[in-house]
Amino acid sequence: MNMWASAGAVYAKEMIDALRDRRTLLVVLASSVLLGPLVLIALSGLVASFEARAEKREVYVLGLLHAPSLRNFLERQSSVVREAPADYQAQLRDSRMADPVVVIPPDFEAALVRGDVPVLELVSDSANKQAESGSGRVHRLLMAFGRERAMLSLAMRGVASELIDPLEVQETDLASTQTRATQLTGMLPFFVLMAVLYGALSAALDTTAGERERGSLEPLLMNPTAPLALVLGKWGAVASVAMLIAVLSCFSFLPAQWLLRSDTLQALFQFGLREALLFLLVLLPLAAALSAVLMAVAIRCKSVKEAQANASLVVLLVSLLPLVSIFNLGGEAPWHLWVPALAQNTLMTRVLKGEDLPLVQCLVPLAVCLVLSIASLRFIAGRLRAAAVR
Amino acid sequence: MIKIEQLSKAFAVTRRGTLRAWRTPAPPPVQAVRDVSLSAPAGQITGLLGPNGAGKTTTLRVLAGLIKPDAGSISVDGIDVLAQPHAALQRMGVLSDARGLYPRLSARENIVYYGLLRGMSREAAQARAAELARMFEMTALLDRRTEGFSQGERLKTALARALVHDPANVVLDEPTNGLDVLATRALRESLRWLRSPEGGGKTILFSTHIMQEVERLCDSVVVVSQGRTVATGTVAQLLERTGEQDFEQAFVRLAFTNPVAAQVLA
Repeated sequence: MNMWASAGAVYAKEMIDALRDRRTLLVVLASSVLLGPLVLIALSGLVASFEARAEKREVYVLGLLHAPSLRNFLERQSSVVREAPADYQAQLRDSRMADPVVVIPPDFEAALVRGDVPVLELVSDSANKQAESGSGRVHRLLMAFGRERAMLSLAMRGVASELIDPLEVQETDLASTQTRATQLTGMLPFFVLMAVLYGALSAALDTTAGERERGSLEPLLMNPTAPLALVLGKWGAVASVAMLIAVLSCFSFLPAQWLLRSDTLQALFQFGLREALLFLLVLLPLAAALSAVLMAVAIRCKSVKEAQANASLVVLLVSLLPLVSIFNLGGEAPWHLWVPALAQNTLMTRVLKGEDLPLVQCLVPLAVCLVLSIASLRFIAGRLRAAAVR
Repeated sequence: MIKIEQLSKAFAVTRRGTLRAWRTPAPPPVQAVRDVSLSAPAGQITGLLGPNGAGKTTTLRVLAGLIKPDAGSISVDGIDVLAQPHAALQRMGVLSDARGLYPRLSARENIVYYGLLRGMSREAAQARAAELARMFEMTALLDRRTEGFSQGERLKTALARALVHDPANVVLDEPTNGLDVLATRALRESLRWLRSPEGGGKTILFSTHIMQEVERLCDSVVVVSQGRTVATGTVAQLLERTGEQDFEQAFVRLAFTNPVAAQVLA
């Protein structure tokens, strides 16, 4: 009979089967729909806490009484000066304190007047991210205090202040708003990739290893249908589920943005319809290819359990490959586009940065996905009969 | 009409993945079927009787085109299974050892799915499912998911699924496995009906290792043992040849004595 009609019948049956597996489907759908909001809420919470701390402009000092001049300077800079608690070291280590502490020696003021160069200790903990992020700000404040003292002394002696500040440094940040944002949103493509992978996983295993485990593959092959038609129908269904997950997880970022608490992040994270569609352009071929690869791995296995163990290798690869670009090992190289998962991660990161996707760069991963799918499908079709009777 | 002649099939033994397994010479292949011949005429129930491991399932799998034989020929209504597997399958309904129903689909969906795979239109497959359900008295089951079915209900559904395209030849692999008395009786009735002219006068070939079924149901018996056909005939003929009163005793003599001697006896 007509191969496409058979493939269509298989597709319809597998879709019904997958959609009726309510529990699995609900878990996969819920995790992909919630993915966007959850990731963004976590990010916005983080950014908001940084912003809030920067706005508070608090400086924690131990031995405030020993340095009235420093206190005066800090208050003139509209900083709120607070006495640090006695057990500040323990608190910093346990991340209970989110600010670095300036420790002032007892004879600070007198030594300053004598010109003895007193030592101010700035205590932070590099494992405490929040305190660490504040220490640059406090360090700059202390340096400014020193410079002010120096200028006052020079001015009293009639020396121009330019002598001590012979140059001025002006910082120019080349990164666009969106590039800066990718420091925060760089993990998003990774999460989306994982959602697609796990979306395909259960359906891929059920249509292959599951069919063997139930003993339904043998009677299925006793129908006068070409194995390739069966494989195409099954693959179509698995890929459809994976693509559905891809669509849901990409579009879940759109409403998620309304939940953003941080104005900065809202300004930085520009993910509109265009970005969502570009994500899908990149993701859909991968969803199809991953479905085929997972099915090829699973058809070799007699039970779903065995297939899960084998599929974890694919999961591991797909989760490790994007790390190449996240760790930024040697920057972006042309070969990245030839590696599945890594290529998609690279392209999605570019979309987030607001860069254009040249057509050629999209075609390379597309071709790789196509080759991967065809090779996997041929492998499955070849293995189907042997798998049914063993 | 199903005809199998001098079928043989050996399976290579897969070695374990250990180093020691690879150092030793490859184990010899397992000869699942050595020389099986049988002829199942239309309008008759032919039993393929043999002990466990005699090669019954392998023979039926070769017949269904799942396995390529090493030697021998098979034809279904004159169609060579090896040359035209799809055309031959179209004339066969096979109920395999593994019933293999889809638990999340209803009985009707299971049946219609196979109808579609056999090139029927959806309407025709639906109508046929309803007709088969009436025949097997399972209309009430039709729209329930097969998940919670009893063994008997599963068998009925699987049998209906195998018969959806109204094949002239029906092949069943150990159909009574796991069935209770009532379900077994119902199955026997169904098979008798399928054999009768009203039921289509179909060729029915079924494998079993249970004597009573053969005695009660079969028009002719093919006894296989260790991959060989060791005797063919009606129950009465086999009893007569072995000189036994009890069919079980006759079977044991045929199947478990030296196959060559048994053949001479036959």
